[in-house]
Amino acid sequence: MYNSFELNESVRRALDRYSQSLIKIAFAYLKNMADAEEVAQDVFLAYLQKRPVFENNEHEKAWLIRTTINKSKNMLKAGWFRSRNPVPENLSYLPREENEVLQAVLALDKKYRIPIHLHYYEGYSIQEIADILQAKPATVGTWLARGRMLLKEKIGGAEDEAFSI
Amino acid sequence: MKRSVYKSAMSHLKTSEDFNEATYEKLMREMAKSEQNGPIDQTQSKEMVKMEKAKKKTMTGWTVGVAACAVLAVGIFALNQNGPAKDSVASPSATAQPSSVVSERPPILGKVQVNIDGVISEVSADGKSFKVGDLWVEITDQTKLGSNEPTATAPSEELLQKEFKVGNIVSGFTSQDVSSGRVTADVIYNNMAPAKEEAPIKGKAMVNIDGVISEVSADGKSFKVGDLWVTITPDTAMGIDGPTAAEPSEELLQKEFKVGNIVSGYTSEDVSTGKVDATRIYNNMAPQQ
Repeated sequence: MYNSFELNESVRRALDRYSQSLIKIAFAYLKNMADAEEVAQDVFLAYLQKRPVFENNEHEKAWLIRTTINKSKNMLKAGWFRSRNPVPENLSYLPREENEVLQAVLALDKKYRIPIHLHYYEGYSIQEIADILQAKPATVGTWLARGRMLLKEKIGGAEDEAFSI
Repeated sequence: MKRSVYKSAMSHLKTSEDFNEATYEKLMREMAKSEQNGPIDQTQSKEMVKMEKAKKKTMTGWTVGVAACAVLAVGIFALNQNGPAKDSVASPSATAQPSSVVSERPPILGKVQVNIDGVISEVSADGKSFKVGDLWVEITDQTKLGSNEPTATAPSEELLQKEFKVGNIVSGFTSQDVSSGRVTADVIYNNMAPAKEEAPIKGKAMVNIDGVISEVSADGKSFKVGDLWVTITPDTAMGIDGPTAAEPSEELLQKEFKVGNIVSGYTSEDVSTGKVDATRIYNNMAPQQ
């Protein structure tokens, strides 16, 4: 358990370290920056309220990512979220190639999108992704392979080029 | 697709510049709000508050109950001085009978906090132990004399004599097992001399309705205390009767019986039947807020 000071410190530290990661994961899920930031705020609020105790920084990050994914899922399921027609996020400020790749990834089904994000942006291994998503490593491997294949079909790429770690 | 493009694209995504500061401020506001309403782990703290309140209520109830017993006992002695004492040898036993009957069935809930209650039949040579019923009670240096509850009045010499004598009426509490036959008293609330040449009367005979109302009938004339349904009839006397008894206040003797109220009273009927008519209601108090 933390006292208030320790809690303040741990929350501030987590914000500095992980806020961008959490926003990006939520964005990969929700495809909207405002929603992604709202989810990330909720995650830190949950951190403050639940006061989880972690074994190490990796454990802490994994908890935050899992909570972000769960909260993103919940937002996707919410009636108000489903019923609206948001303007697609304007990514035109990104360089053309980055924009193209990002749009391609966001167009994937979320079951491929999230493992790809965790693998290529966060650098998690298949085993680590399996732990975070509470899935079998083989399943995660399949999602990654299919996601990669779909991306290759869309944006091309050399035969031997892969989304490796 | 080049392997670094996705990571680069994600890194270049624009997010709110003040996200961290805004989030931190929001979190601190939430934290301050939670602290105002109690700790963040609210379920546990709420339970703690509930327990503390319940404890306070129980202790207040008992304090008032014991005080009522004491006043009542004095009233009984005063009345019995003019009572049937001159009749015959049979009269003491006749008077004592109800007390022995009730002693087999202690007042409802009363046995928790008052489990030493009756007339001293024997006193040890050193005067530090006495026998009540089948129970030997020992007084030690640790035994508290009188109630130390915040609302309790200072015990008078009359109600709490220093010397334990045969015939004295005592009430008290021990945390030890009374079935063992010998205990050390934790507290002695009362140690009263009986009226002269009178058969001793157990105070508890006059208080066998005591506790918190858990149910009230639709007509409001019956209520449940522990496992006992008590009905108020037109014959039920209200308040404490006796020469030293104060006028009952609205606070201590409310007209309406409500769930949660603390009641004490007496019935001449057999409480083991589970349903009795109250002979007298001494107190009917709303629980402390």
